[in-house]
Amino acid sequence: MNAKRMLTVAGLLVLLCAMPLAQVAMQSPAGQAPPTKGVVLKGKAPVSNDVLKVKLPRPQEADLPNGIHLMILEDHRLPQIAMQMLIPGAGGYYDPADASGLAGFTASMMLEGTATRTSQQIAQEQETMASSVGVSAGGAGESATLVVSSLADNFDKTLDLAADILLNPSFPEAELARYKTRQMPQFLAMERYSRVIYGDHPNSRVMPTAESIDKTTHDALAAFHRAHYVPDQAIVAIVGDITLADARKIIEIRFGAWKKADVTVPPVQDPAPIGPGKVYLVDRANSVQTSLIVGTPAINRTSPDYDVVSLLNAIIGGGPTGRLFLNLREEKGWTYGAYSSVSAPRFRGDWSAQTEIKGDVTEQAVGEILNEVNRTRTEPIPDKEFLDKKRSLVANFALSLETPAAILNNYITSRRYNLPASYWDMYPERMMSVTKEQVQAAAVKYLDPARLRIVAVGDARKIGDGLKKFGMVEVYDTDGKLKTF
Amino acid sequence: MRTRLIRALLLLGGGLSVVLGVSLGAAAPPRVQFTDTHLKNGLRVIIAEDHSAPVFSIAITYNVGSRNERLGRTGFAHLFEHMMFKGSPNVGSGEHFLLIYTNGGDMNGSTSKDRTNYYERLPMNQLDLALFLESDRMRALDINKANLDNQIGTVSEERKQGVDNQPYGKTSETIDNLAYTNFAYRHSVIGSLDDLRAANVDDVAAFFKMYYAPNNAVLAIAGDVKNEELLAKVRQYFESIPRQPAPPEVEMTEPPQTEERRQTIDDPLARLARLDIVYHVPQSLTPDADALSVAGTILSSGRSSRLYENIVRQKQLSSSVFASAGESRGPGLFRIGGLVMPNKSVADLEQAVYEEVERLKTGPIEAWEIEKARNAARRGFLSSLTSSLSRAVMLSQLAVFYNDPGLINTRYERLSSITAADVQRVAQQYLTPQNRTVVVTNPKPAAPAPQPGSQTGGL
Repeated sequence: MNAKRMLTVAGLLVLLCAMPLAQVAMQSPAGQAPPTKGVVLKGKAPVSNDVLKVKLPRPQEADLPNGIHLMILEDHRLPQIAMQMLIPGAGGYYDPADASGLAGFTASMMLEGTATRTSQQIAQEQETMASSVGVSAGGAGESATLVVSSLADNFDKTLDLAADILLNPSFPEAELARYKTRQMPQFLAMERYSRVIYGDHPNSRVMPTAESIDKTTHDALAAFHRAHYVPDQAIVAIVGDITLADARKIIEIRFGAWKKADVTVPPVQDPAPIGPGKVYLVDRANSVQTSLIVGTPAINRTSPDYDVVSLLNAIIGGGPTGRLFLNLREEKGWTYGAYSSVSAPRFRGDWSAQTEIKGDVTEQAVGEILNEVNRTRTEPIPDKEFLDKKRSLVANFALSLETPAAILNNYITSRRYNLPASYWDMYPERMMSVTKEQVQAAAVKYLDPARLRIVAVGDARKIGDGLKKFGMVEVYDTDGKLKTF
Repeated sequence: MRTRLIRALLLLGGGLSVVLGVSLGAAAPPRVQFTDTHLKNGLRVIIAEDHSAPVFSIAITYNVGSRNERLGRTGFAHLFEHMMFKGSPNVGSGEHFLLIYTNGGDMNGSTSKDRTNYYERLPMNQLDLALFLESDRMRALDINKANLDNQIGTVSEERKQGVDNQPYGKTSETIDNLAYTNFAYRHSVIGSLDDLRAANVDDVAAFFKMYYAPNNAVLAIAGDVKNEELLAKVRQYFESIPRQPAPPEVEMTEPPQTEERRQTIDDPLARLARLDIVYHVPQSLTPDADALSVAGTILSSGRSSRLYENIVRQKQLSSSVFASAGESRGPGLFRIGGLVMPNKSVADLEQAVYEEVERLKTGPIEAWEIEKARNAARRGFLSSLTSSLSRAVMLSQLAVFYNDPGLINTRYERLSSITAADVQRVAQQYLTPQNRTVVVTNPKPAAPAPQPGSQTGGL
């Protein structure tokens, strides 16, 4: 993360707090059985029992007449500035049904020419300043995002360029033709998983197909841009060596005349529920490792269970202290790493575990992953492990003070999902108050073995039979075509 | 923004953070201030105090990398990095990372040809924890058969994930093996599975004693700490660890190459052909290496670069082409490479690359291309100061590599003085046919099942 360092943020308080966080640092008495497999705790290292309590700086905010909402986090420690602009309604979720990938294609092509600048001029101008300007709208996100960063003394000029790219793209035919020949759609392991979990939902798409790229025209790109790049709900978030007054002035100069469209963005839909679990095998001959993903539909970002599911995920596979890592790597030595993650956008997302595992233990590894999932449903989490995990999530907040861009991202999330103003200030308290029973209940509710999907990419001749133990196996080739097995 | 004031950052000293008003325009570049102390046992300690966030980072760079390994013992430095997390009489196996994460920090270690480093970033109230953990494992690592076997298994999987099961995974091993004559840089950091499996407890213990001695390491701490107080703590934790005889110097001399070297390999996991061309160049932080770094920016940095514009965009021979020389304490390589687009030929791509190399030697270099390299250096410098972790890692590494941690403030300025003539001179001197090694990686359809034993890890 290349975020800017924080500075003289007014009101930055650093307190050492006592209860209730302090009690979680108690160490287990010597000789007690370790709560986690693969790790031996001797308890001799000196640990401060206090969790450093930090008060996060709040961004300054302003609204412009055309709908743009401005958020600024000043950071004057280094002469550099970064900006992102979110444009809801212009993301891949809103691809037309017959043109998958059009939003992402439009975003990429915006850098290939404007009414007054050629592709080469755009590249040369920004790179001579060591600035960066990019637009992206891939996947099934709701928004397109314009990302800009530069040295502070070049920010003005960089923003001129960024505004031209955003407002006046020309989608030149010649560049379109060049762009098409550069694309090389490839089958990804993730693609099979996404189709399995999301079905026909927009989030099932990882990459646009060759056919949809081929048939895209200048007019389709220009029309998508015209209809979807509107300021009505746009958020402009700036972090760095600049004041709110200066930022407001330069944003108004570039984007003040951008006309409000008075359109509402259609709401997103949840993916359809999926049936009982199955095993999907992508046959990649000569693989010496198997790529494994085990996952299931889970929650929306606005779910009241969000904190609980985040904690559940951290226990199963959050980093090197998660159960998957401790079991599959530290205890077994089968893999270089094993993790899990929650994806919770506005529509219902998913939970998944991922690892690259030694090919000849594929079957055992799937068994261990399913076993770890099952343990969170059936066994109470040991006290120390549970408190350690909560403490780790809460104490980690202090580190974000080194990266104001991460803090600003939290506040962008608050705005996007209408979270309460105190949401991030209350995060430590909220997380520490989650109970073991809540986490176990969430595991029972969301990690239903009947809804878990297993996707493996590996050598079918070696691992196919072992996988049959977990259910009916569908086999695909590396181009995504169904094979007989 | 021309008139606004910036508060000088990172100007620290004696526990005071100094606030200066500086007008921008030609603002003085920021400076990291630090103290530099040698303990009695030879451990070098660098402290850069900065109270802008309640966080500190600690980095230890040990002066050992795969360059120190000998034939039949490849992969040792990296295997050892894994062993450093397996515990001591005071810290259980895996307890190190559990303690760091549980207390809100992050950590890791990494091994390169030139060094091995370890680092932690933590909230400021966990200073003792970090000092305890780093000093404890420097003092007395627990090297036993069970830990060793377990980590040989993990490293075997790391090798598969990064090399054996990756398209083009073997390409860079092939390049180094062909381009270098000296064994120090000729073999890969991860090493061979056979060598790893042959590692025994005595070998590993001897390696630890020689290379993980305080006199072979530099400790750097940056962030929210108090210099005097911290130095006293560092002495308390580290100074009693005994000094060891200095490890042998590594002979790094690379004989001049006199004719082109070339090899073609097949890769069953690759879907497109790939071209790699490398040239021998001097070690980093020499005037010629600086000029070659600017040459790399002109050739391949971004969409305005020559290789992108002419080869990717115009001729459409490749989807992306890179050109750069990474950091190297010893004889380096300037690397150019790219994937070949479907239905285009490797030979055409290779020819197009040589045309650009020749154009660099004799054609004009535009003023904007030099300005681009200077601004990129400025931004790179600021980015490197952004986190306490990056400052700590750089300070300790620069001390180990060049005996000069102050390079953190000056190394990017060196690039600002490079001229078009400098770039042309080094291009003419080093980017020559007799000085190059060419490796072509061809995709190969799935072959019969590989031999048993060639793909198993040591469990």
